[in-house]
Amino acid sequence: MKGWKALISKDWKLIFRNRLLIAVLVIYPFLIMGVIGAAFYDVGRPVPIGLVDLDHVDGGETAWMGVEVASPSTMDRGFRRRAGAAVEFNGEGEAVAALGSREVDALLVTGTPEEDLRWTGAEFSGDEIEAMLSDLDLETGVICDYATAEDALASLDGGDSNVLLAIREEDYPYLGETVWMEGENNDASSLVRRFSEDITEIEEYSKASEAREDLKKGRIDAVIMLPRGFVHRLKTLDEVADVKVILDQSNLVKAEFAETNIRGFLSRINEGVVKSKMEAVVTGLYALVGGGDFFGNEITGLEQIRDNLERIKEALAVDPELQEMVNTGIELAETVVNDIDEAAVYLRSTALPIELGVSSVAGRPLSAKDAVVPSLIALSILWTGVLCGAILMVIEEEEGMRTRLRLTEMGPFAMVGSKLILATAVVFVQSAVMLLIAVAVFGVFASNAPLALLVIAAASFSCIGIGLVIAAFARQVAGAVILSVLVSFPLIFMTGAVFPLTQMPAFMQWIARAIPLTYAIEALSGVMLRGETLADVAWQIGVLIAFGVALLALGSVLVRRRNT
Amino acid sequence: MISVQDLSKEFNGVQALEGITLCVERGETFGLIGPNGAGKTTLIRILTGQIAPSRGEIRLEGEPVDPREPRYRLRVGLVPQEASFYGRLTARENLTMLGFLYGIEKRDVRERIDGLLAWAGLEEHAARQVRFFSRGMQQRLSLAMGLVHRPDLIYMDEPTSGLDPAARSSLWELILRLSEEGRSIFITTHNMEEADHICGRLAILVKGNIREEGTPDYIKGRLGKDRVELRLTDSRDRDLDDLCRRLDLAWKAEGDIAVITGSDLTGKLPEIVSGLAGSVRNLHYREVTLEDAFLRFMREVGD
Repeated sequence: MKGWKALISKDWKLIFRNRLLIAVLVIYPFLIMGVIGAAFYDVGRPVPIGLVDLDHVDGGETAWMGVEVASPSTMDRGFRRRAGAAVEFNGEGEAVAALGSREVDALLVTGTPEEDLRWTGAEFSGDEIEAMLSDLDLETGVICDYATAEDALASLDGGDSNVLLAIREEDYPYLGETVWMEGENNDASSLVRRFSEDITEIEEYSKASEAREDLKKGRIDAVIMLPRGFVHRLKTLDEVADVKVILDQSNLVKAEFAETNIRGFLSRINEGVVKSKMEAVVTGLYALVGGGDFFGNEITGLEQIRDNLERIKEALAVDPELQEMVNTGIELAETVVNDIDEAAVYLRSTALPIELGVSSVAGRPLSAKDAVVPSLIALSILWTGVLCGAILMVIEEEEGMRTRLRLTEMGPFAMVGSKLILATAVVFVQSAVMLLIAVAVFGVFASNAPLALLVIAAASFSCIGIGLVIAAFARQVAGAVILSVLVSFPLIFMTGAVFPLTQMPAFMQWIARAIPLTYAIEALSGVMLRGETLADVAWQIGVLIAFGVALLALGSVLVRRRNT
Repeated sequence: MISVQDLSKEFNGVQALEGITLCVERGETFGLIGPNGAGKTTLIRILTGQIAPSRGEIRLEGEPVDPREPRYRLRVGLVPQEASFYGRLTARENLTMLGFLYGIEKRDVRERIDGLLAWAGLEEHAARQVRFFSRGMQQRLSLAMGLVHRPDLIYMDEPTSGLDPAARSSLWELILRLSEEGRSIFITTHNMEEADHICGRLAILVKGNIREEGTPDYIKGRLGKDRVELRLTDSRDRDLDDLCRRLDLAWKAEGDIAVITGSDLTGKLPEIVSGLAGSVRNLHYREVTLEDAFLRFMREVGD
């Protein structure tokens, strides 16, 4: 026993008299935890998103559109044919000036900026413009709206469009419409702001190119482009409101986050529109019955008609035949009133959007920092455990003491076992302090902290085993550190600490099952976040201890082999 | 005390030791000398149970023994060639830790460690971390660490390697004191002066074989006791052959110097000088050293 004590005491002094080892084994994990913790501390902040709203009238502006057609020359011929007479312009300035001064009502641009662009103008009536846009929409499926001539010409250059069309904004059908919702008239950008205020920070841009530039520089996480006629399309059933979203997919996490947020609030806009439509329909139906405002017109309700018929019926008391005919009308009115009531009840009961009531399996909402701490502690256990195990074993080799110790009464099991005890204690205390700081200082949620400590102890035991085995392949502390990092780094990515296990290919999931850290992360997040009990995580604790025992045995065999 | 018979060791087809037979008597200091790669450290590693021999037998006081057995391990001490202590522990901590690992009772450890620190001249430095010691102090501590459990037999693998003359001399003094206390010492060394000074008996190991064994005087005596270096004005090889044959001496050419060795050389010098008839430009006489004998021996075996 005193031999074991002497070995443990010696290793304790060797660690805590070596500044480098203190830095690597004690300070570094706290530092990493601080850095990652700080990074995740405020996750959930509104996502910065750029908004380019083309569905508004500035007055005197030009509405630029781009399409990709099978044959630009055929479209050019169709444009001229539709107009009857067309004018050719020498360049953008002349063409846009003609459009602004109402010499022409529409411009068609073909060609590419490298070659000569062909600027054609023609006179159209408002109906003709609407018909032309409708035909174009049907033919191409997508009409891209651009805020400026610069954006539109860039799309020709980039190959997004091969024909541009420009009209005066005020001639654009259904531009800048509003929708009545939540007691207010909302235009396109106020709809976006209203439904995204808690999850995004909206910054409006007048030019798509500027928004795109800021996206590239990382000032915003995504750009949303609301097309012209966006609100009108929301209100009608026959046209889809296309919203263009540009993401920075060089950072997949950021892009995924932004896309999820955008999908979320666009879906809320849709739900809001559907809800307000249904309310309008129901209000209309009640107006049909009771009279009053029916979509802007004052109408006489069916109940009033029925009352009038009643009075007519009384007046016709002398003529039973006529009275019977009026009575039929009264019954018909009664039936229709009842049918409308039923329809209104049906619409009210079915048209309301779904309200999501999200709750956590932990029994309370969890923040990003809550979710990240179990993985963070598990990673710290891996780092410190592997390094501590490996370094303590290699110290004997580096100090030239292995042979001397072999001659003493202590066998390989004591040599390895004493290091396992000390390293487990060091890693356990460190991880427990981390847990304590996370809970007490940062308010991280841990539903069962004592059980988490038990998992930490089992995880420390198994991860140190990895270090003991690594040490068999190193002669010096520097080599052991390098090997430990080489082994630990891929393990971090193979255990669900970074990517969810369920999203990995089947073979990677099998590999993950052969790594103790996987069970440590599962059990730690289970007891900290999902309210699992000892019975739930007993098998994971068992696996961790089994890993530790197996690795201790392997480490002892490797030490014995090296000794002989 | 300890003897080995027909001991061999092969590493992946390479014969490191072949048919080694030797013994170290109780209280004897036995030296193993040989060039680098001769197999000295391999033999110590076998004798301290670090590696197993391919063939042969080791006996402790006449009884066959496996060096990995506790009854053997606890009777031998080791002073390894390389630094062997925890640099961040103090001298006392290094010794105390070893004391406990050897199962010494707590009440005895302090007394024994104090005695060892005094013996090694380290009592004033007992509380200093060993990494701040001089190389000589470190080696004295290393020697003390090999004695914590009071072994009967101490293996020392080139213990003075890399020490300055003062530190070396201080360590020799400690080794001689151990010998006087009746401990058996098995020492390997490159240093012929050291071997001559502290060893009662020597063996020369070359390419895994013991080529010569005996006391330092016996080995030196193989060349005779005296040595003369002659610088000649012209080549007189035939005359030197005749003279040495007649006077029972040996000679060899070392560059432009002729080296003559043999017994009672001083009395034969006038005859040698006159036999070389005025060709002797200068002459230098000294006694034969172990190094002369070792170098001559190495040349003879072609190494």
